[in-house]
Amino acid sequence: MAEDIKGKLERYRTAPFDSRFPNTNQTKNCWQNYLDYHRCQKSLESKGVDVAPCDWYKRVYKTLCPISWVEKWDGQRDDGTFPGKI
Amino acid sequence: MAHQAHAYHMVDPSPWPLTGAVGALLLTSGTAIWFHFHSITLMTLGTVLTLLTMYQWWRDIVREGTFQGHHTPPVQKGLRYGMILFITSEVFFFAGFFWAFYHSSLAPTPELGGCWPPTGITALDPFEVPLLNTAVLLASGVTVTWAHHSLMEGERKQAIQSLALTILLGFYFTFLQALEYYEAPFTIADGVYGSTFFVATGFHGLHVIIGSSFLAVCFVRQVLYHFTSAHHFGFEAAAWYWHFVDVVWLFLYVSIYWWGS
Repeated sequence: MAEDIKGKLERYRTAPFDSRFPNTNQTKNCWQNYLDYHRCQKSLESKGVDVAPCDWYKRVYKTLCPISWVEKWDGQRDDGTFPGKI
Repeated sequence: MAHQAHAYHMVDPSPWPLTGAVGALLLTSGTAIWFHFHSITLMTLGTVLTLLTMYQWWRDIVREGTFQGHHTPPVQKGLRYGMILFITSEVFFFAGFFWAFYHSSLAPTPELGGCWPPTGITALDPFEVPLLNTAVLLASGVTVTWAHHSLMEGERKQAIQSLALTILLGFYFTFLQALEYYEAPFTIADGVYGSTFFVATGFHGLHVIIGSSFLAVCFVRQVLYHFTSAHHFGFEAAAWYWHFVDVVWLFLYVSIYWWGS
């Protein structure tokens, strides 16, 4: 499993088609991967295991999200005002 | 006066369309002036003129229909069409607010936390006062039907009692809604949740107040022997309107209070 995700990460070129987000507007896709990345980190850190598999979500949201959004959300997480549930 | 060979109502010249138009213009521009310059003079003038027009115009219609016999069966048919068209326009008025609500809640934006109710909003419990309100309005729909049948059967006393009960239920609903508004843990300024909630339920509340007033006018007219068992369209229009307000509440309850919480 760990090898699978490693290989997948190495082969990453861009965000693949995700059937949950079939529309041209990819806002929700960006948002969901941003949430999934931080949920994944939180979960794996609490278990004390390697958080490397979470990087897949990070790659996707870094591809899809405008930089200004990520900066805004990171700032909100630091301030404790981020509206999403992580 | 020459003999009239048809059953239609040839209306007399009346000042009320003109005073109504002037009143509406003063009311809208006066409200804009209140918003921008904090002066309520024009708005007050517009309100007074509009209220005077409403009172006197409807008083004239009651006189024409009840005492002058102008509301013949074909004229009543026209009044029915008018009321149906008016209520249809009201349906579309509310459809707009439901559209706004579903637009915002079916795909909540990241700013809201991607969820509904938005992060930080504590919605009202739909199984407390809102459920009681649903029961109150459904009961008032029953009592207004009871009033209608009493009227048609010539049961004067029952008609008065059931109409009074309907109006009291209407007031009770308004009282409960006022209490809910006062106790609500969110405001109209708390983002799109508060906006859609208070605009939709607020306009519904306004319509309950209008419907209660309409029924109250029917109550007074019933006490004054204006209605007969065969001719009481004013009451029927009020009952239609009341049912419409009732149905809007059911949609509000299911959508905003229940599904939306």
